[in-house]
Amino acid sequence: MTKQNKVVIVPCSGIGKTYGTVSREAAYEVTDDVRPDDTQLVALSLLVLGDEAARAAVADSPAITIDGCKLACATKMVNQSGGTVAQDFAVLDVYRRYRQFKPQGIAELNDGGQKLAHVLAEEITAVVDGLRLGPTAESAENKAAGGQNA
Amino acid sequence: MPEFLETTVDKFIFKVATDRYYSSEGIWAQAEGNRVRIGLTDFLQQRSGDVAFAEVKPAGTALAAGDEVAVIETIKVNISLTSPVSGRVAEVNPAMETAPEIINKDPYGEGWLALLEASDWEADRARLLNAQAYFNLMKGQAEEEAKKL
Repeated sequence: MTKQNKVVIVPCSGIGKTYGTVSREAAYEVTDDVRPDDTQLVALSLLVLGDEAARAAVADSPAITIDGCKLACATKMVNQSGGTVAQDFAVLDVYRRYRQFKPQGIAELNDGGQKLAHVLAEEITAVVDGLRLGPTAESAENKAAGGQNA
Repeated sequence: MPEFLETTVDKFIFKVATDRYYSSEGIWAQAEGNRVRIGLTDFLQQRSGDVAFAEVKPAGTALAAGDEVAVIETIKVNISLTSPVSGRVAEVNPAMETAPEIINKDPYGEGWLALLEASDWEADRARLLNAQAYFNLMKGQAEEEAKKL
């Protein structure tokens, strides 16, 4: 799998915001620990700067964005950078589903924040797997059917 | 559609609907016959942040002006909201249960909190601020907040 084929993960870059920290912790868990071979992290700030490598990454690969607030900067910047958002996550929406994990802290998340980041990472991983497995499954079906695209 | 008084403080635009009354903490009250609809002002919702949960006292709850009528949890804070009027909760906005973010999207419209059977609206109204008075108060509060940024 080439780097360009990796699913791009773009988290919120909100500094000093708990939900931004949750978004980044979830992104690190996916890109560093759970699916390092299938994903790559792209910093939102590089997209804002118009960094060529960052723009190329989102232009060539499906992106998963993680927004810390309703401004949805990550999603907007991927779209403005010519990328395709395969799935956008909002930390607040995830928290609404896991109210028991109330996030607090900024530089260091509390236990609830870490758990929220973990369940968010699990949801992101499921999307990554869907994106990675989709074409493979399709190819397998084509192969089984004797398709030309196998 | 209500008309608005509007001010820009720093990069934020705050609106105050001219067709209702206000408590100094930023709860609006609008009479509808014998009932009074209440909700958060634009300034209060912006200052509080994205609403995650809103818990409003259930229908039938008796309230005196100043009693807690709802608690909202946002990405920044938990806030206890007090009723600007005395009376009984007649109806709670069902969106508070399913989509409380409507408070942020439409604070003067679909984001209302509750409808109250007011016990003495005239007395409550006399204690509340009209739109211009609240606008002046809110503008001062917003400018103070901006100095902290």
